[in-house]
Amino acid sequence: MSEDKQERDVYVAVADPTRRKLLHLLAEAGELPLYELTAEFQMGRTAVSKHLAILKEAGLVTVRKVGRETRYQINAAPLQEIKDWVSFYENFWIDKVSQLKKMLSEE
Amino acid sequence: MADVSLDFQFTSSVEQVWKALTDSDMLAQWIWKNDFTPVIGEKFQFRSEPNEWWDGIVNGEVLEVEEPHILSYTWASAGETTTITWTLKTGSDGMTHLHFEQTGFSEQTKATKGAIEGAKYSWTNFGEQLKKLIEA
Repeated sequence: MSEDKQERDVYVAVADPTRRKLLHLLAEAGELPLYELTAEFQMGRTAVSKHLAILKEAGLVTVRKVGRETRYQINAAPLQEIKDWVSFYENFWIDKVSQLKKMLSEE
Repeated sequence: MADVSLDFQFTSSVEQVWKALTDSDMLAQWIWKNDFTPVIGEKFQFRSEPNEWWDGIVNGEVLEVEEPHILSYTWASAGETTTITWTLKTGSDGMTHLHFEQTGFSEQTKATKGAIEGAKYSWTNFGEQLKKLIEA
């Protein structure tokens, strides 16, 4: 399950309200420097950085240096996994219930 | 957390569908071999063909049995523990309406649920936004 860890990271990453808010902010702005992100929270720069590091590990955030500034961008691709995973269960049960209907001779 | 929510209609009676959802032999015909009994607190196993990614085993425990309307159990497999709830109703159209929900995925997800309650953004909105982002 090599993908499992990556997947879990995505879930862990979005499991926290601060990190979800960070994703929202980045989704709306496209790109923001750390100080602007920090300004949105009741916590210090270090705490926000830690949250951003977790998002970065999950591949949900990318970083670029512009002069002395670190700017963050959102990368939504890994979120596809969450969607795929829910779809997997949806399809599984739709398939099973269609077998149930066959069993009850309803198809 | 993103939940799975599905609706089905049957021409069979609520009782017939209930039996198909709770009788071990019938369950084996549309899900997998199992030792399911519709008794609260009873543990059960469903066994599918294992493959290289999955041992094929689902472990569960019955949480709620309100014959013939509500059946709920845990569904634990491949490191994810979820809760499945089936709700059956007779509709005004005379059809049996079967509603399926699967919620709460893994420890992180349970944490998520707690987090969501206090979160400024609801998961639903977040999910909508994610969808937009993903589909963009």
